[in-house]
Order: sequence, then structure tokens, then C-alpha cells
Amino acid sequence: MSDRKPGVPVSPYDEDELRELLEETDYDTELGMELARDAQRLVAGELSEEVFHDRYHEAIVDEFGVDERPLETIAAAFEAEHTDPTGFFERLESGEHSRRDVMKVGGAAAGALAIGAWGTAEQARQDGQSMASGDNPNQDGTRWGMVIDLDRCDGCLGCVKACREENHWERGANWMYVMRYEDDSRSSGEDYLVRPCMHCSNAPCEKVCPVTARHTRDDGLVLTDYDICIGCRYCQVACPYGVNYFQWGEPAVPQEELDPNHTHDGRDRWVDSRPPKGTMGKCTMCPTRQDGLLGEDKVGTVACMDMCDEMGMRAIHFGDLNDPDSRPNRYLRQRREQETGRRPGHDTTADDFMQTSTKEQDISTFRLLEHMGTEPNVIYVGNQPGPNAEQVDGPVSYEAQGSVDRRKDVLDDGADADQRPWVYAEGGDDE
Amino acid sequence: MSTEVSRADLLRPLHTTTKQYWLLFVAALVVTLVFVYAYSLQLRHGLIVTGLADWGSGGGVTWGIYVGGFVWWVGIAHGGIILSAAVRLFKMERYTPVARLAELLTIGALSMAGLFIVIHLGRPDRVVTSIIAAYPETVHTSPLVWDVTVITLYFVLTGTYLLLTLRHDIHQLRGQLPDRLDPVYTLLTVGYTESEDRVSQRLVWWLALGIIILAPLLLHGGVIPWLFALLPSMPGWYGAVQGPQFLTIALTSAIGSVLVLALAFRKAYGWEHIITDDVFRGLGLWLGLFAMLFLWLQLQQVITGVFAAPIDVDQATAAKLNDPIYWVAIFGVILALAYLAAQALQPHVFSLYGTVAAGILVVTATLIEKTFFVVEGLMYPSFGLYASVPGEYTPSWVELSAVAGSLAMVVIFFLIVAKVIPVVELHAIEGEVES
Repeated sequence: MSDRKPGVPVSPYDEDELRELLEETDYDTELGMELARDAQRLVAGELSEEVFHDRYHEAIVDEFGVDERPLETIAAAFEAEHTDPTGFFERLESGEHSRRDVMKVGGAAAGALAIGAWGTAEQARQDGQSMASGDNPNQDGTRWGMVIDLDRCDGCLGCVKACREENHWERGANWMYVMRYEDDSRSSGEDYLVRPCMHCSNAPCEKVCPVTARHTRDDGLVLTDYDICIGCRYCQVACPYGVNYFQWGEPAVPQEELDPNHTHDGRDRWVDSRPPKGTMGKCTMCPTRQDGLLGEDKVGTVACMDMCDEMGMRAIHFGDLNDPDSRPNRYLRQRREQETGRRPGHDTTADDFMQTSTKEQDISTFRLLEHMGTEPNVIYVGNQPGPNAEQVDGPVSYEAQGSVDRRKDVLDDGADADQRPWVYAEGGDDE
Repeated sequence: MSTEVSRADLLRPLHTTTKQYWLLFVAALVVTLVFVYAYSLQLRHGLIVTGLADWGSGGGVTWGIYVGGFVWWVGIAHGGIILSAAVRLFKMERYTPVARLAELLTIGALSMAGLFIVIHLGRPDRVVTSIIAAYPETVHTSPLVWDVTVITLYFVLTGTYLLLTLRHDIHQLRGQLPDRLDPVYTLLTVGYTESEDRVSQRLVWWLALGIIILAPLLLHGGVIPWLFALLPSMPGWYGAVQGPQFLTIALTSAIGSVLVLALAFRKAYGWEHIITDDVFRGLGLWLGLFAMLFLWLQLQQVITGVFAAPIDVDQATAAKLNDPIYWVAIFGVILALAYLAAQALQPHVFSLYGTVAAGILVVTATLIEKTFFVVEGLMYPSFGLYASVPGEYTPSWVELSAVAGSLAMVVIFFLIVAKVIPVVELHAIEGEVES
């Protein structure tokens, strides 16, 4: 990364990609591109916020009906705060536009900010190369994890489907699970919780495993060695999040049909794809991708994120939490800047956001059940479900995505041995 | 105990076999075979033949009656040997006639506990290789490995203990034992000399001391409850009270089981003069005491769970109190306690069958309570946001057949053992070896 030429900002979206993204929307592509370029100048300090606002306010109102660039632009945030007492987020949540529309509208600005943030980081790096990362012991080595922006989720379950198609788990073994919930303690909006495995740094599942099948790799991924697991399910009992799904019966997709590059990781241990009968499975955060076995272009990606990006939602940000330049860390900085107008330090990472004593606390980030001491490596942006929150039906059913929500229904069908309806009904599920 | 009891009385099971014996044997065998068939289905299809499922979004519970059965059998095993060790250590000679029954019960029950662990697993074929390979690491952190460790140690202690006391008896009775089993007796008494009696007396005493220290503190008051009590993910399990609570269950269920065994042998072989009413009366009192402790510790949990508990504990407690199954278990124990307490206050209330019925009631109640504890704990996790929480669980016939099968196998174990060795110690009728 450091061999990049100074002063040439590189976005996680290159310009073509951004254009493509914009063209998918119903809105003016050129306007989006211009917005993006100027936003970059804005962040670089070449353009004042006033000028930026004046230049685009009318165009945006014309194009979108309302200047409500959600979460994405500083200008919009200021606009909202200054002109509307109900506040920017309330208006966003009130739902004249669906979250998805809003996201699409915001695509341009999102790209703009990403570029902007990149530029900032780049500039800062030039300024302060001496600030070696590695001062902090937590920052040694890779630690894969996610930042998930719950405000950007609309419950389409695309990630669930993508995960299942990638890993071939049984119906209802929802390695990736998205729930919509209602919480009495606040006016009910569109609240979602996206629940992969947290890949905890202090994983209770690993601690209790009697055979070290459940283990943590050097890069922080918490995996099950399917060759060692004895199927006692103690990990499932000890995990406070409920992310484990056992292989109760014969897998629907036989071993021969699995891609061998997608079962054994770089250490040649069988830890990826659906588990064999009698062992425990859960979200893996795609170790074979991270090890480059599925192609170099897939390193640093996960199936759920790819799909979420494809859907234009970009709620899931997977990457190395120890690397200040990783996608999740960049995203968190960008998100804070959007919301507060304050620019975090260029090397601010997810860990800084989670420290209660720092000023980075001013956007709503949380880790799930952090009080349990599990040190989860998924950081959420958005509302945290309160103790009395209750799951409600989401907009898209699990059945529609080829899975089921309550797995017990499927398992019960298979519980009287001779038939095997727990195996997919022919033609029913895979498309 | 004195001379009016002859050695022939003691050896009656080894020489007479009734029609009832064969009926019971065949019945137990049939039940065992049903279980074997059920387990073969499970091996073929996987644990999908159970009523278990994933907790959380899955809407089930992942541990059920297999784990409940494991805890229950382990409890009976531990309580059995504690009873026997107490007899030796505290010179409670009144109970010497049931000491060996209790030891044998420990062996049988521990085997069944081990069986439940194995059938609980998704990959039983790997149990030995996987556990041994990882042992140096996992013994530091996994309560399940602690269990395996301590239970293995326990099995060895109990076996040694039983063998030492048995060698003396077999040597003394050798002439009256059935000839066809000579190889067995030769093996059991290999290297025996009469001079070893005094050494083994001391050894048995030390073993008893070890067991009395180990069993209550480390086993049923230790590693077994720690399987559950150390996990904050399940508020119904978490907490320091589970150690003593589990211990009361071990002791009550063991005494209850010994009562049943004692009555069965007394009836079958006319042993009214060996296993006297006095034994039952005394065991009944102990059962009452431990039943009271059981209820007292339940009360501790309920009160802390309802007064000002955190939300997750509060929900778990409320659910427990609203479940009729919980009250079946609790009232079972209360009823037994009421009868046993009445007996303590008014000795004429005592009846042999009443006491054994109280024992059966408590043994059944503790199986229900333990399975309920496991299942309910998993139904009300700390993280209850999922719509499918609380999960549901009804044991399938395969699982129920395992409980019945384990009972049947213990019956078969006793039916066979009674034909091979004297199930009552010679000391019980002839007094201690002079020291």
C-alpha cells in the first residue's frame, strides 16, 4: 500500500466501479460523479462546506425531491440539523423512502466520502509516516473482523443466501442470520441485527471444547476442525450468541460435490464449507478465501459482504481490524465524520471506537453482549437491541431465500428415521 | 450381626435361580435390544433421530435427556460409593449389608453415565482419539475434560475398593462358590494371601477417605455441576449454588436406588434377617435429610431468581416456576420428605414399602429435575432476542429408549453379578476382621 504515489488518492471504489454503481440507480449519474469529486475536494480542504452546499443543494433537490443525502454527506447532515428540528436520522427512519432507495440515492455520496476518507488517510500518512503501527500490541498481525452498519441493512437476506450458496449449509442452519426487531424502549424504527459468528478474541466456545477442534487461527478466525470434532455440542452451549448449527443428519450436499479448495484452508485443515454429519458448523468468515485458495481477488472478502455490496447496501465491511487502512476501519472513520463532522485521526481503528474513554464514542457503535467478556470481533454501527427487544418478521422470508428461519421444523420432519425429508426436497431449494 | 445368619443364606443367589429371575432377565434384555436398535438408527442417520435441535434461531435445545441421563447416573454412582465409604470410614456398621450393593451400583451407574456421554456425541468413533490427542491442552480449560478425568479416576478408585474387599470374601467362601466360575475366582484372587487382609483393610480405609473427600467436593459437588454452572450464556445454569445442589441430587438418588436394590434382594432371597428393617429405616432418615437439603437449595435459587434478579435470570426463573414439570419434580421430593419426616418423628409410621416408594419417588423426581434443568437452561439463554427462543424439546422414542435401556442394562448387570459374587459382604454377617 505504501508504494502508492503520494497525492493520488485511490478509492475502494475506482471511478468506473462508482459510475457503474450510479448507473444502476434511477438517478443522474453525472451529478453523482461530480458530487463525488467535489466531496473529495471538500475533505481535502480545497473546498469549503458552504461552497459545496451551495453548489449542490438545488441540483439535489431537483433530482431527488429532497436533499436528504443519508448518512453520507457532511453537507446533508448539517442541513438536517440546522433546518429540521426532528433531526436527520428521525427523518431518515420515518420512511418516506425505503431504506434501500435512500441507500441508492446515497451511493454517489458514499463513494465520494470513501474517496475523501482515502485521500485524508493518504495525506495523513505522508504527514506522519513516523507513527509506526505496531506500537500497540493489539495491532500486531492480522485480526479479521467486521464492521456492520445496521442503519444500512434492510433485511433483504441477500447475505444469508450468498453464504448458503457459498458454504452449502442445510436449510435453517443460518450461519448468517438477520433479524428485524422491535424495542419498547425507543420509537420503533426499522431495526435490524445482522448476526454472523463474532469470531471472539476470547471465545467461550474454544475454551470449553474438549478436543481443540474449535480453535483460533493466527489471523483471529475461530474455526472448527471437522476432522477432530466429536460432536458434543459444548461449543454451542457455551456460545452466548447462538451462532452454532450442528450437522444433525447426513448433509444435503455430498462431500464429492464440494470444491476441495473450499474445504481445507491454507494449513490444510478441514475447516470450511458445511460440516460433515455429526460435527458443528458456524460462520467461518471464509478462511479459504483469506488464504487465497479461491483466487487472489477474493482475499479480504467474504461471501456475505460481496452480496451486500452487490445489492448496493454496503452494510457489511469485512477486513483486518488491526490495519488502520482496512475497509472496516476506514468505514468507521468515514461514518463518524459523516455523522459528527469531526474527522478522526487517520489511524483510528475499531478498537479506538470501542473504548469508552475516547471521543470516538460519539457515533453509536457497540459489540454484542460485550459484558460477557468474549471480545467479539464484529463491531456494529447503529442501534443496540435493548434487553426487552423482540424479533419480528422481516420484509423477506428465509424460505424465499432457500432457507428456513426456525430449523427445528425441518429437523422434526427428519426425526422419524426412514425417510429423509431433512435432505432438500428435489428442486425445491437451490434456485 | 451374628451367627444365626449362615453363609448359605449369603450365597443363595449363587445357587438358586428362579423363574422370576429369568422373566426379569428376558424383559430387561428385550428393553436393551430395543435400545440397541434405536441406537443403530442414530448411528446410521445421525442425531437427527432425536428431538434435539439448535438453540437460538433454530428453535430447539441442543442438549437433552442424554445429558440429563448422564448427570443422573453419575449422581447415583457418586452417591452410591459415598454411602459405602461412609460406612467404612465412620463405622456405620448398621449399613454394612448394603455397602457392596452400593459399590456395585456405582460401577453399573458409572458405566451407564459413560454410555450416555458416548451416545450423546455426533462422532462417537472419535471419542478416544480426539480426547487423548488434545488432552494436555484441554485439561486446563474444558469442564468436559475435567469430567472425563475425574470420572476415570473415580472408576479406578471404586474398582480397586471393590476388588480389595471382594478378595477376602471370595477366598473365605471359595469352597462354597459355584465350580463352573472357578477361572473368574482364580483371576479375582490372584496372589491372595491371608496376610494381605490387614493391609487391605487399611488401604480400603484410605480409599474410603479419598472417596469421601473427592466425591462430594470434586465430583458431584464439583466438575459435574461445573459443566453448567460456569457458563454465563445460560442464566438458569450459572452460579455457585449448583455444586451443593447437584450433590444433594447425587445423595438422594443414590440412597433411593440403594433402597430399591435392597428391597429387591431382600424379597428375592428371603434376606429379612440380613437387610433388616433397621437398614431401611436408617436409609430413609438419611434420604429425608438430603431431600430437605435439595429443597432448601432449590429455594435459594428461586428466591435469588425472583427478588431483584437481572432480566435474563428473572426470565429463566419465571419460566421454571411456570412449568408444571418443575413442580412435578419438586412435589415429588416434598411428598417423599413429608413421609420420611413423619417416620422420623413417629417411628410407628415406618413401613418398608412406604420407604422404598419414597425412594423411587425421589429417584424419579431427580431424573425429571435434572433433565428439566438441562433443557430449561438452554431454552432461556441470556441472549433471548431470537423469536425462536425459548426453544422446544420433546425427547424422541430413540432418546427415551436409551433411558429405559440403561435401566435395563443395570438390572442385567445386577442379575449377572449376583450369580458370580456375594452381593453382601461376609463382614456383614461375621463381623470385622480382628485387628
